[in-house]
Amino acid sequence: MNLQFGPKKIIPVIVLLSAIIFSNKTVAQTDSTATDSVLLKQIEQQMQTNTEVAPQQTRSGISSNPDIGVVADFRASYISQGKKNFDAYLNETEISFQSVVDPYIRADFFLTFGRDPVTNKYGAAVEEGYLTTLSLPAKLQLKVGKFREAVGRINPTHPHALPFIDLPNAFVNYFGEEGLNDEGASLSWLLPTKFYSELIFQATSGASESPSFYRGDNNRFIYLGHLKNFFTLSDNTTLEFGLSGITGPNDSSSTTNIGAIDLTYKWKPVQLNTYKSLTWQSEFFYSNAKYSANKMSNSFGLYSFLEYQIAKRWFLTGRYDYAQKPYNKNIVEQAYSLSAGWLATEFQKIEFEGKVTNVNIQSGFNQFWLRWIFVIGAHGAHQY
Amino acid sequence: MKKIISIFSLLLIIISGANAGSIKVVTTTMDMKSITEMIGGNKVSVQTIATGYQNPHFVDPKPSYIISLSNADLFVTVGLDLETGWSPQLLSSSRNSKIQKGSPGYVDASEGVGLLQVPSSVNRGEGDIHIYGNPHYWLDPLNGKVIARNIASGLERIDPANKDFYEANLHAFFAKIDLKLKEWDAKMAPFKGSKIIAYHNEWVYFERRFGLQIVDFMEPKPGIPPSPSQLVKVIKEVTANKIKVIISSPYFTTSSSDVVAKQTGVKELTLATSVGAFSSIKNYFDLFDYDVDQLTAVLK
Repeated sequence: MNLQFGPKKIIPVIVLLSAIIFSNKTVAQTDSTATDSVLLKQIEQQMQTNTEVAPQQTRSGISSNPDIGVVADFRASYISQGKKNFDAYLNETEISFQSVVDPYIRADFFLTFGRDPVTNKYGAAVEEGYLTTLSLPAKLQLKVGKFREAVGRINPTHPHALPFIDLPNAFVNYFGEEGLNDEGASLSWLLPTKFYSELIFQATSGASESPSFYRGDNNRFIYLGHLKNFFTLSDNTTLEFGLSGITGPNDSSSTTNIGAIDLTYKWKPVQLNTYKSLTWQSEFFYSNAKYSANKMSNSFGLYSFLEYQIAKRWFLTGRYDYAQKPYNKNIVEQAYSLSAGWLATEFQKIEFEGKVTNVNIQSGFNQFWLRWIFVIGAHGAHQY
Repeated sequence: MKKIISIFSLLLIIISGANAGSIKVVTTTMDMKSITEMIGGNKVSVQTIATGYQNPHFVDPKPSYIISLSNADLFVTVGLDLETGWSPQLLSSSRNSKIQKGSPGYVDASEGVGLLQVPSSVNRGEGDIHIYGNPHYWLDPLNGKVIARNIASGLERIDPANKDFYEANLHAFFAKIDLKLKEWDAKMAPFKGSKIIAYHNEWVYFERRFGLQIVDFMEPKPGIPPSPSQLVKVIKEVTANKIKVIISSPYFTTSSSDVVAKQTGVKELTLATSVGAFSSIKNYFDLFDYDVDQLTAVLK
């Protein structure tokens, strides 16, 4: 079979193709003219009726990825005692992944990269990682995983959202710098009351880093109950009153019981809530720690702070701490601190804090901190 | 026997009374509440989270809102990312599967709205950029029709027995919007092309509908408070363009526009961005009546 085309054969083919193309074009031109005139009429009608509609634009940001955010906490510090007085470090980097899993549950993960204050080395940890149900009946909600437990106000709050840089002495004495944060389950029930009342019961497999509780080799769990009550006093003022009770094993293979009360009053004028606000928050802790059949220690601690927003970007916070040592109530710490925060935007704040601590068995000391917090990516709302 | 009949009659009255407004709706804003009430009539009882004089970006997620959400049959949100800082947390805590996103009781009122200012890329260096587009779309009364359609569809999903009732109210709402729009258009017609300054970038839909021209904002970037250099820039613009008015909202302070007003003589006007911003604004139509009357009085 000869597939070669000589010039004599190509020319008639080109002529034929040209004829087809031009004939189609002529038909198309005829149709186009008719269509154009219809379009022209439509445009004229639209201009006359003046029913202008905004152009539909493609919506962006459609993705099945979870919301991802990074919160960084850079610090500089000074302490008036010891050999090393000044320090500067990236205290913690928190990476969050948050999303609804399916119509029944959502998942929240907070991974942290923090500096160990003793070794100065950075390590990674799961700060929180839990699922929350969205569709249980009877106004119940279940949370399963690793989470900050529901003790009062400070423990459930991520440190970058607090209005001061250090944690209150009483809180650290009972729950440590990382707070009570462990693996287990949490069931909460919204009570059928006219005001907001939520009852929470949590069982966790033991605190991995807590002065009061200990994760041993046995089968003992930490049990926690919390009753949160929230009252709207007026459009601008609210009051929260909470009761907490915790019982669990300690490092003496015995039991520690802690009772806590939290009280928070807020004034936030609805109309200008981004310019002015005032928060007065206090928590009281009472601990009963048994160490052996004959040895037991009862202790008490509290903090109370007043935060005042003086302008859109400026916050001032004064705090008083009182803390008896959990193992010996005769050792008493008292501290006074003052913090100033400047919020550039919702995604960046700089804070200064000065603190004076007095301990009844040793000389007092002073501390200063600077904290610069910045956020990239998504960042959800904090508790009110 | 008569007593039994009387008791039954009384029970019927009580039951029928209980049905009036028996669909519980929670809306994020007053504008959504107003339109829901017009579509739902006596079949709905509506609660709102934000007030009309509150910045809808920064509503505090008070636990007390969770109670009304936990009992709601329908949830209406402005959507896009207007309420992103507070409504997802409240919804998650509501323990109410009926109103979660994707459920029949979840209404995103922005569905089908022709969005303006949709960014092609997102960079927070530009301030509070809305990734889906400008979310203040209810300030164009024609978008009120889209909102109403979405709300009617939501009500019909959860209460199909009353579909005809909702459709009738929807078409009455459409007719009133068309009628009132002619009135507002007529009032604003002499001022088409008027140059104005706004505090925050929340008027683009209103600007477009009524042919205004926003030259600049008091905020140098969305969400960033006015800086001295921005005030100098605005003062120059007001003088160069003979601008008559700076418009703002009830939830912004006037200290920066006071400075510009003192330097240039420009008038300051606090307009309503939502129903309930001022006591005279009872519904969605009052909102535009108020803003159009206030603006035309100043632009004369």
